[in-house]
Amino acid sequence: MLKVALVGAGGMGRVHAKAYSQMEEAELVAVCDIDPEAAKKCADEYKIPAYTDFGEMIGNVDVDVVDICTPTYAHLECVKAAAEAGKHVACEKPLARTVSQAKEAVQVCEDAGVKLFVAHVLRWFPEYRSIKEHVAAGAIGDAVEVRTTRSGSHPNSPDSWYCDYSKSGGVVLDLIVHDFDWLRWCFGNVKRVYARGLYESKIPITDYALVTLRFENGVIAHVEGGWARPSGFITSAEVAGTKGLLNYSNADSVPLVIDKKAVEEDRPSITIPENPANESPYYKELRHFINCLESGETPEVTPEDGIEAVRIAEAALKSISSGQSVVLG
Amino acid sequence: MENKVKIGVMSFAHMHAYSYASALNKLDFVDFVGIADEDGSRARKFAKEFNTKAFKSYEEMLASDIDAVVVCSENMNHRKHVVLAAQSEKHVLCEKPIAGNLHDAEAIIEVAKRSHIQLMTAFPCRYHPAFVSLKKSVKAGDLGDVLAIKGTNQGRCPGGWFTDLSLSGGGAIIDHTVHLMDLIRDMTGAEPTKVYAEIDNRMLSKDFDDTGILTVDFSNGMFVTIDSSWSRPNSYPTWGNVNMDVTGTIGTASMKMFQQKIDYYSDENKGFFYLYWGDDMDYEMVKSFATSIHKGKDVEVTGEDGLAALKVAMAAYESAKTGKVIDLAEY
Ligand SMILES: NC(=O)c1ccc[n+]([C@@H]2O[C@H](COP(=O)([O-])OP(=O)(O)OC[C@H]3O[C@@H](n4cnc5c(N)ncnc54)[C@H](O)[C@@H]3O)[C@@H](O)[C@H]2O)c1
Repeated sequence: MLKVALVGAGGMGRVHAKAYSQMEEAELVAVCDIDPEAAKKCADEYKIPAYTDFGEMIGNVDVDVVDICTPTYAHLECVKAAAEAGKHVACEKPLARTVSQAKEAVQVCEDAGVKLFVAHVLRWFPEYRSIKEHVAAGAIGDAVEVRTTRSGSHPNSPDSWYCDYSKSGGVVLDLIVHDFDWLRWCFGNVKRVYARGLYESKIPITDYALVTLRFENGVIAHVEGGWARPSGFITSAEVAGTKGLLNYSNADSVPLVIDKKAVEEDRPSITIPENPANESPYYKELRHFINCLESGETPEVTPEDGIEAVRIAEAALKSISSGQSVVLG
Repeated sequence: MENKVKIGVMSFAHMHAYSYASALNKLDFVDFVGIADEDGSRARKFAKEFNTKAFKSYEEMLASDIDAVVVCSENMNHRKHVVLAAQSEKHVLCEKPIAGNLHDAEAIIEVAKRSHIQLMTAFPCRYHPAFVSLKKSVKAGDLGDVLAIKGTNQGRCPGGWFTDLSLSGGGAIIDHTVHLMDLIRDMTGAEPTKVYAEIDNRMLSKDFDDTGILTVDFSNGMFVTIDSSWSRPNSYPTWGNVNMDVTGTIGTASMKMFQQKIDYYSDENKGFFYLYWGDDMDYEMVKSFATSIHKGKDVEVTGEDGLAALKVAMAAYESAKTGKVIDLAEY
């Protein structure tokens, strides 16, 4: 059984911690967060030691894998620390804030001889995997035009790191990097990027972008990303091909809705749409990495995939800023 | 009724003539005087169906005492037909796109002006209640400032002359861009300034464009993308869509124009279909045109509106050809 230490115990860190707690092949052994309260909360829940200093944790606890769920701008320093300590690394998406940081992260892992997995979880969402498999099987002939949407309200309060786009990269890097990776997985490398967005607009707690990608194989993709909706979260994907069309939207794919009446004053009426599954995509992606570490197989998301997804996002941000299309080398 | 407005249809080449003719028959202040068509048998067939007269030629129809015509010929024939009508001082409702190229569009506007006739571009989507409500809401400031719009006008390939460039002037881009472009101009009052497009013909692999995504900057700072394609397969449950997602500073709106439908599964027809039950926008548009002529008022959608929308489609072709962002001020 592999021993995992979690770094960053915020929203995503808790999701990863839960996944490991359900996994037979791995065990969460320690948690580190620069915020002592966040570290303690997670440590208490899983009855593991809490640290605020990474070096101290690695010195005290026997660890095989470091799972990094810190904010995007802090990924590189955490990957470095883990690799230099000789630990395998799972890192949340995007791999890093910039392409050059992402490359450095890959290099340090290579130099240290440790494996690096980037948690591009969309590949483990069954609807996205199904579309990819049907396209690959020729269900719609040749793919010609693809559209994706990922659009919700803003993730955090104005003082959150998400709202500082120099740290998060805004919707283009933080949110639709999911779709960039999925699209690359399905259709290969991107040749050209043109984008418009609010990245530089300074409208508080709002970001929105429309990105057009031209792939080397000729596919044209339109990617929408938004943190501008008053409520709700919408995802959709459509692939139009020479012999058919695949179309998915989360709004049309809800197998269960629970509606609760307002029975007491402090409990308002609430509607909870649910998409129950036996295994969460986060559980599946992390188990995949753990299994690969045990078997020696190469994970489905390679370090290069992690760099390339950031490269598309960076090109889109460049296009937004310059107003011109950006050709990927 | 006294003083009915007399309207004829020039050409049934475009299938929209069918619903425009139905509308003419429904309006009690309109006298649908007849149909003229280069294809005489087509004129006779539809004249019979709509219980009206088949003229032997455009000239014969235009020499009669009619007030106005609806031009539903192929894009590249619009100019010829509008010029004919204008020379006889008949008002014109011209099918979109206003022409198959910018030169023709400008000539059409010019001749209409010189002949003092009313020239309306047929943009029926302006008359759909879903759009009317959206526009009202946007104008009332419900969404705050509009920051971005994502539009799709995706359909099945219509075939026929639409895919013959000598008659159409272009494929999916010229056919579909203009609807959304017109709606967005009308709704926001802003003008397009820059156009970039990725366009291809990989859907059908013929000599016309069948897929494309346009990105358009506007004078008010907002950005817009339009999916203008013939990307719906033949098995799609309806002809296509006109959808718009509007993002504003304090709200968002999503319009699916033809979502008022019943899902129909048929063993007999082997398939799944949408049965549309919403209002008839073609009727409302024809009514608006006929009313303007009847009352001697200016039409609500002009030839210039048709030209402005066409210009974006043409700039998109130019952008795809050159790989450049096209500045409309210099185009
Ligand atoms: N895959 C997904 O669906 C998904 C969803 C949300 C977030 N994410 C990604 O996960 C990462 C974390 O996002 P989040 O929403 O959990 O953020 P968060 O702000 O909720 O949590 C981040 C935590 O990291 C801690 N931290 C910051 N710097 C640190 C450091 N140097 N060392 C140790 N701890 C540190 C913070 O104190 C905080 O507790 C981001 O890269 C984000 O893009 C992925």
